[in-house]
Amino acid sequence: MLEAVNLMVFYENMLALNNITINCSKGKITGVFGSNSAGKSTLMHTLSGIMLDIKKKEEMIGGEKISIFGEIIYEGNEISMLKPHERARAGIVLCPERRRIFPESTVLENLKIGSYLTTKKEKEQNLDYVFNIFPHLKAHANRQGGFLSGGEQQMLAIGRALMANPKLLMLDEPLLGLSPLYQKIVVNAVKEIKETRGLTIVITEQYARPVIPIIDYGYIIENGSSVLEGTGDQLMDNPDVKSAYFGV
Amino acid sequence: MENKRIERIDRGIKVRTEGIYSIVSMREMMYIAGPRIIFLGILFLLPLILEAAPYWKRVMNIMFIYSLLAISFDFLANYTGLVCLGGAFFIGIGGYATAILNSVLHIPVLLSIPLAAIIGAVVCTLLLLPCLQLRGVYFAIITLMFPLLFTRVIEATNILGGTNGITGLESIPGHFTENYYIMIVALIALFGLRRFVNLDAGLVMRGVKDNEQSIRASGINVTWMKTQAVFISSLIGCFGGAYLAHLYVWAGLSLFALDFSIIPIAAVAIGGGGTIFGAIAGSFILVPLSEFLRFFGSFRIVLYCIILTAFIVFKSEGIMTYITRKYHQFERWVDV
Repeated sequence: MLEAVNLMVFYENMLALNNITINCSKGKITGVFGSNSAGKSTLMHTLSGIMLDIKKKEEMIGGEKISIFGEIIYEGNEISMLKPHERARAGIVLCPERRRIFPESTVLENLKIGSYLTTKKEKEQNLDYVFNIFPHLKAHANRQGGFLSGGEQQMLAIGRALMANPKLLMLDEPLLGLSPLYQKIVVNAVKEIKETRGLTIVITEQYARPVIPIIDYGYIIENGSSVLEGTGDQLMDNPDVKSAYFGV
Repeated sequence: MENKRIERIDRGIKVRTEGIYSIVSMREMMYIAGPRIIFLGILFLLPLILEAAPYWKRVMNIMFIYSLLAISFDFLANYTGLVCLGGAFFIGIGGYATAILNSVLHIPVLLSIPLAAIIGAVVCTLLLLPCLQLRGVYFAIITLMFPLLFTRVIEATNILGGTNGITGLESIPGHFTENYYIMIVALIALFGLRRFVNLDAGLVMRGVKDNEQSIRASGINVTWMKTQAVFISSLIGCFGGAYLAHLYVWAGLSLFALDFSIIPIAAVAIGGGGTIFGAIAGSFILVPLSEFLRFFGSFRIVLYCIILTAFIVFKSEGIMTYITRKYHQFERWVDV
């Protein structure tokens, strides 16, 4: 469904992504694992198009020069020049790292903001669906987003992304700073989303253990290059990966 | 094909001059000192060159007054995080202070200007003190209101000469004193502040801009730091005001004109915020430009706006940032 071929991103002269080729097949969960500074967020920003926006802003203030190379093919079309909002219209929706919810809007308003691109009928369906998956949110529907706990905020962020009717949902470090219990809830919810709505999901994470059971295919990136790929079990069996990403 | 990108790297000489090694050869020393020497040289020669055109000498003085205001704006906005539209306020308070000192108390002009700057700075700081809790646009609006408030108060109560203003100020003796006096002060403000922002106190102020809470958590009194910053920049601004009053030999309501608040901001936008030098460069472009545009009569505001907009849209990094980058780095095409 989404295919990135030979993706390269330079921040000034630093190579942030080096010839990354990843393939996300339809209806599957693709995992991207790597430590800090491996390039996970850069990859997510590049795929969702936000990198083009960052690039332009840096040019305006005379900051770092960002160069992007490679092809991104989505449903057979080359989209690497599309702006982020056009990609969102096409169905690529990013749930950003550190959640970035709107702290002064209520939970309900946050979700409604996410459904800007959809019709009214879809909005109501999606709202029911999100409240169904995350019952926690329904209980706090009128509370301000900033007053939710970290786990609830993460649910809200995923819910907001779902409201946009995505075909491809990208989750950037959804388990950041969550307790093991909440990690489990979020991971199960992601699995449920995939099964009930047949979405294609890309998920990045530093610590692979909680996520690896639900992924269909995974990539491990280090210093911007993809060092290993395979199904969840194949990754699990690799001794290097075991010590580095599972803490075994 | 398109598999080439522009690489930007530091010039070898820039890297060599970064440490103590910069004093090993004349070339390295000139790399650092050269631009400054050329800038200073041109400035000091300027009054002599402009001897042929006395009108432009006067424009030069105005240029330096705007430079002072732009420096004080740049310092407050980009190093302390207080967007201050109070240029007119500083000018007005400084101007009236020197008017009282000079024409009522008969203090000689060269002494009354710095004295007025200090008194004016104290007054400005005290008046702005209650507003320091405000941030961003709210502080900007309050500082914009103060000059309007003072104009109305003076008009209504007829104090300080009312609408006629205070006349009979001494003019500054000698054309060259007039030129060099303000120039040297502007240079002291420029180089002093550039040094100050890298001192401990300056670092804390930059911290206040970035994250006020963590500065407070480090046990530093944020309001006190902001007070100091406001004092420094109103000192610079009031000096400009006091000088301007003596240039016109008159202190009146026009010292509170909105121009003094707006043009410095435009100058900083053109010159490049956060460099302090950019503030001077910006006002050196804007003030002569608005003089040139006088030929076009009232149409000049339109041209002025077009030029400003073009600068902000196409070179929003500012001239100084651009030039510094070109000076220190070069670009070349490399294969990916």
